[in-house]
Amino acid sequence: MFGFHGQLLHIDLNSGRNSRRELEESRLRAFLGGIGLGTSLLHEYAPPGVEPFALENPLIFTSAPLVGTGLTTTAKYAVVTKSPLTGFIGDSLSSSHFALELKRTGLDAVVITGQASSMVYVVISDLNVEIRDAEHLRGKSPNETEAAIRKELNSPAIRVAAIGVAGENRVRFATISNEGRHAGRGGVGAVMGSKNLKAIAVRGDREPLVFDADGVNVIADSLRRRSLSSLTDKYRKIGTVANLAVFNRLGVLPAHNFQQSTFDHAEALSGETLTETSFARRHGCASCSIRCERLFKSLDGEEQRLEYETLFALGPLCGINNPESVLRAARLCDLYGMDTISTGGTLAWAMECSEKGLFPEAEKFGLRFGRTEGVLAAIPAIATRTGLGALLAEGSKRAALEIGGDSADWAMHVKGLELPGYEPRGLKTMALGLAVSPRGACHNRSGAYEADFSGEVDRLRADSGRGALVAASEDFASVLDSLIICKFLRKCFTDFYSEAAELLNKVTAWNFSASELRRVGERIQVSKRLFNEREGWRPEDDWLPPRLLSEVLSTGVAQGVALTARELGEMINSYYRARGLDDNGFVPQEKLQKLGLKTKQ
Amino acid sequence: MGRPKSLLLFDGEPLITHIIRALKPMFAETVIVAASEQELPDLPAILVRDEVAYQGPVGGIYYGLQAAAGKICFVTSCDVLFLNPALIAHLVSQIPNYDVVVPYWEDRFQPLHAVYRRSVLTLLKEQLNRGELRPVYLFDKVKTLKIGEDEIRRFDPEGLSFLNMNTPDDYERALQRWGALKENNPVQCTVELFGVAQLLAKTKIISLTLPEEATLSHLFSALAKQLPILVGRVISPEGDKLVSGCACNVNGVEFVRNPTAKIKAGDKVLILSADAGG
Repeated sequence: MFGFHGQLLHIDLNSGRNSRRELEESRLRAFLGGIGLGTSLLHEYAPPGVEPFALENPLIFTSAPLVGTGLTTTAKYAVVTKSPLTGFIGDSLSSSHFALELKRTGLDAVVITGQASSMVYVVISDLNVEIRDAEHLRGKSPNETEAAIRKELNSPAIRVAAIGVAGENRVRFATISNEGRHAGRGGVGAVMGSKNLKAIAVRGDREPLVFDADGVNVIADSLRRRSLSSLTDKYRKIGTVANLAVFNRLGVLPAHNFQQSTFDHAEALSGETLTETSFARRHGCASCSIRCERLFKSLDGEEQRLEYETLFALGPLCGINNPESVLRAARLCDLYGMDTISTGGTLAWAMECSEKGLFPEAEKFGLRFGRTEGVLAAIPAIATRTGLGALLAEGSKRAALEIGGDSADWAMHVKGLELPGYEPRGLKTMALGLAVSPRGACHNRSGAYEADFSGEVDRLRADSGRGALVAASEDFASVLDSLIICKFLRKCFTDFYSEAAELLNKVTAWNFSASELRRVGERIQVSKRLFNEREGWRPEDDWLPPRLLSEVLSTGVAQGVALTARELGEMINSYYRARGLDDNGFVPQEKLQKLGLKTKQ
Repeated sequence: MGRPKSLLLFDGEPLITHIIRALKPMFAETVIVAASEQELPDLPAILVRDEVAYQGPVGGIYYGLQAAAGKICFVTSCDVLFLNPALIAHLVSQIPNYDVVVPYWEDRFQPLHAVYRRSVLTLLKEQLNRGELRPVYLFDKVKTLKIGEDEIRRFDPEGLSFLNMNTPDDYERALQRWGALKENNPVQCTVELFGVAQLLAKTKIISLTLPEEATLSHLFSALAKQLPILVGRVISPEGDKLVSGCACNVNGVEFVRNPTAKIKAGDKVLILSADAGG
């Protein structure tokens, strides 16, 4: 087989045993690798109704056909499981050397089930699998864990993905991290922690076979050149932090827990200001020509990566108005291994509860909008589940159930996953994308905001054409996430499906057409919905938080704009129609047959 | 002058009407501070009267700030004919770490063309109680940012924002200038730069004057002339459109791709990345 190894490794931490099996080419053709393959395997390995922290919930790491081919931005891997935050599919991506090394182990997928009796780490090295004691690594950050394992194994080439203290303590939005990058959302790190699995270390020499290496190299050169054009200028020259000033100007920068859509101190936090005052250096993932990472210097001299979502979530969302505070909070999240978006979203919810007198403990803790000390104290408390941190570690949805009163009205999540930094009332296509995403409120699994920024739709108005746009952008994202190609490269393609199909065929010797590749994207997306249906999804789960449907935007150019329940309902109906789902959003039999998916039980 | 300067006519309308019209799109709220007996036309603004007469500029600033809802206010006198939106936006953008942002033009502070935090009210009140009617006394007591001439000229090369009309001759000259500007440069607009464009140009905002019936293409060409650093990297080498990595939004609302789209006077054209991924 080309592009894939055709091999899956299953490790059962209960028994300590592992087994390999062949991966059917038909499955790989149907789902590719990455998120697609992970979704397919999740259907197979997760028993219906499995609890996220149960032994049987599989933690699945997948590689993908383009990994290791030298194509820019393809050093990525996926982690798929049942999310402890949402109870639905939890799929996450990370990147860089771990992804390349995972591919070199000769595996397309690693499925981990069970629970070790004490903290362990797993070493996968070519054909060998070893489970080693990791009690001495308990409490270490992911970076410290990697360094310790490499030293212990006397292997500088080994790559490690690990959880931090948050994962150990099953914080529901804990990450799995490698080389400063994170499989960030949905709590995949918590599932790993529930298995007493501190880290996975990989090492291998099995380079993937590529069918037409010369042909792939030609495309690789072309893509690399395109990746260095003005199409990626933002990522290369300022980073995603560039979004903050723009979103503020457009009135779509969520602040103070989505009570505002502009932030008075946006200028101080803007990417432009950060670049001028605190920029330290640039960095990039392995095999990436774009190198979008920006590190900024704190006052104590430490460098910290900062992306827009982290900046928004630990900045304006919490009313925090100075860069130093955001850098410190981000550093803590990375240290403990926590999703910054869910951390910020949960803290902002707690701040609002505190200010409304509903959460006295949070008030005593100093959790109020704009108060840095509260944020910096709360993050370690969450990671260690200490004091009020134990409740906040559950995420805003569950915490709101506990606090009660009206607090659920301002828990800003979809399906339990906290909202990213795109104000839906001012970006109506994005509003739909967030509501229907199987992962929860996700800006990544569709690029629905692209339509709102394109000029082809009125971002401030809802209409029934948005369903098709969201479905198309989800399919596109699914294919990108399964090849795997970074979304920051997406604008460098002129005709994505044609170009991607050509690329895939040169790697795998398959003969995909553009439309067949688009069909794969649709299949993956519907498979995610199917999994969610199986795990109890109901139509009311495809919705937005009450605040977004009851409060009008009060500041900025979009002042006075609202999103009504009727508008959202109509857009969701249009999405269901565009997807070929039934009127309530369930996948009908004929759709399953059309996509070659197994019939429902 | 013989009559209130705010009521001097330009194109048949009182000057105060032009001023309010220019300020309305820029601010959520406009407050007019008038003397107790002063007659004014009906205007879409909050009207407050001096509580005590003859308290000069400090009184005007004080009563205006007191009536305003916002924490930050731009204050102007009622006789400014050539308000410059780009300069005003720049002054407002500089306030975050200050209490007052005030232009310094021709060796003088321009307190009646400045930005104030409402938090200076207490000090202004104390000044009034002491009979200190010059705003400059405030500037020593609070965090004040002085905007110098070089910086002002980037937006208002001739300093028209500070043009005074104290005599009938001044009024005549202002009328002629008003007419000439409308005839030769009917479309004044501002360009706001974000991201890479801002870093390259080292400025956030720039004023442009364009011919009547100007399009985005004309705007990009004019921008290319004023900021050649942007050519090839933000504006295409031909100078008439944006490069593929950049996008254009008008007035913060509408994304526009068509270079033949018309630009209206007062439009704010935002230039930003075409990719909103984060």
